[in-house]
Formats: sequence, C-alpha cells, structure tokens
Amino acid sequence: MSGLGKALRFSAEFIAGIFAGTGIGWALDQVAGTSPWGMIVGLVLGFAAGMLNIMRAAGELNRRPRSGTSPGEEAERPGSDDRTR
Amino acid sequence: MASPVEQFEIKEIVSFGTIGDAPIALTNSGLYMLIVVGLILGVMSLATRNVALVPNRWQAFGETLYEFVANMLRDATGKEGMKFFPLVFSLFLFVLVGNLVGMVPGAFTITSHIIVTFALAMIVIGTVVIYGFVKHGTHFLGLFVPSGVPGWLVPFITLIEVISFVSRPISLSLRLFANMLAGHIALKVFAGFIVSLLGAGVAAILAPLPLLMTFAMVGFEIFVAALQAYVFAVLTCIYLNDALHPGH
Repeated sequence: MSGLGKALRFSAEFIAGIFAGTGIGWALDQVAGTSPWGMIVGLVLGFAAGMLNIMRAAGELNRRPRSGTSPGEEAERPGSDDRTR
Repeated sequence: MASPVEQFEIKEIVSFGTIGDAPIALTNSGLYMLIVVGLILGVMSLATRNVALVPNRWQAFGETLYEFVANMLRDATGKEGMKFFPLVFSLFLFVLVGNLVGMVPGAFTITSHIIVTFALAMIVIGTVVIYGFVKHGTHFLGLFVPSGVPGWLVPFITLIEVISFVSRPISLSLRLFANMLAGHIALKVFAGFIVSLLGAGVAAILAPLPLLMTFAMVGFEIFVAALQAYVFAVLTCIYLNDALHPGH
C-alpha cells in the first residue's frame, strides 16, 4: 500500500471513531435531555476509539504486507507470508 | 473553467413522480449502477458459457477473479467463511467495476457518493451483527469485552470497543468515498489548469506541464480504483471473521 493510501486509511479510521463517539453521545443527549454533556463525553471516548482503530489498522498492516510493498522490504521479514496475493 | 465538483451532481433522467415529498426517479447514479451490474453480468456469463477443462480466455479471467477473492476470504476467515463468498465477491466486483467505470472520461462515479458506499458498508456490518447473534447468541457480545483487562477498566474499555465497532461502517464507507472523491476532484483541477494556461497568452507554453500531471494521475487513479476495491473486500473479510469467531 502506498504512503498516501496508508495516510488515507489511518485518517479515515480516526475520523470515523470521533464521528461515531460524538454521534452516540449526541443521540443519548436527545433521548435523555442531558445536552451537551453526552456529546462532550462521547467526543472524548470517540478520540479514544479512533486511536484504538489506528492502532488496530497499523498492527494489521505490519502483520500482512499488502500490495505496494517492495520486494526488498518483504525480504527483511522472513516470517511474513504473502498470503494476500 | 467548469467547477470540479460538477461531475458529482445527481441528475434525473426518467422521473416516475413522487411518493409523498420524495421524488422517485432514475438518476444518472442509478443508470451507472445498472451499467456496472450489466457489465459484471455480461463478463461473468461469458466466463461461464462454455465451461471446459482447458479454459478459454473469458473462463480463465473468471477463474482468476474467483481464486483471488476466494483466497482472500479463506485467509481471513478460514474454511467456514466460504459461505459468505457470494456476498464478498459481489461487493468486490461492484466496487471494482464501479470505480473503473468512473475512470472513463465523462462517466459518473457511483462510489464517489457517501450514501452509496455507506449502504454497502451497512450491508457488511448488518450481516456481521445478524449472523453473529444468530450463530453465537449473547456470546457474540464477548467481542466487546477483551480478555486480560483489569476489572476496574472493563466498563471503559467496553464503551470504547462499542464506539470502535460503531465506527467501522463509517470508516469503511468514508475511505472508499474519500479516495474516489479526492481523486476525481484532483484530476478535474489539473485538467482545468491546461485550459486556463492555454488561454493565458505567453503562459500557454507551460500548458504541457499539467497535461503530463493529468496523464500520470489517470494511471495512479486506476491503481487507486483497484486498490480501494481490494481494501474494501479485505476489510469485509476481517469483519466477517469477527462474526464467525467472536472470541479473539
């Protein structure tokens, strides 16, 4: 995967976490009438979830080199099997 | 110079009137979805028409596609995941052909609208949730409680895991949509530079520069189109694996 692809992947993971957390908090606010506290807490938890997403995605990229990895890079990792090809 | 986002405008082609206040029509987006499905059906029926032990070109092409997706799914989910093969194969082909058809100059890119990619992502997550609960019952919720966490941290971690799960369809759809949108806008902007420079007197001698850039970007965008379809399919497989084996 190219550098740009990685950047887009990680940013999408992070933004999605924030969106989901904020959205859930906001929806709870609408139901419980606790505005704006649900959204604030949801936003902070969303940041945490976004970081978790990024760490998962990075771990996945390390475990299985995807297309775009140069042959030299793969040779450095004898344990990695090129299963995705 | 035409607006770079004009190409994403939804236009009605055939109107069927309204239901309530919602207009019901065949739009250019719908037309291109039909074209994409038609292309897939056409190629796949060519590939399966004269099935022989020694395949002809079309059959070899179809078998290559099948093997590619089947290996991807088997690697991520194991043998029992193969029951989801029709889903993953259809999604992969729809996204791939949709992205590639969008690269034809003047064509509409169906995957450049987030509602389309979000619908595709919700199909995946809906399958994961429904299959997970049907197969594993409440054991499926164990997905949200990682093992080996100190007791007082469990509520926080569970909350974050739930949010992380909810964010999956968003990131799945956002990535595909953002890649296609950004690529097509960049192409249009660079192509627009050619026209602007040609009309700018002496500066017209610089016009070949953005032309070269546009030329290189078309190649790169075709690569991105294929790569994003592949990423979408791989992530679908990884999420389906959670439904099949919820205990990490």
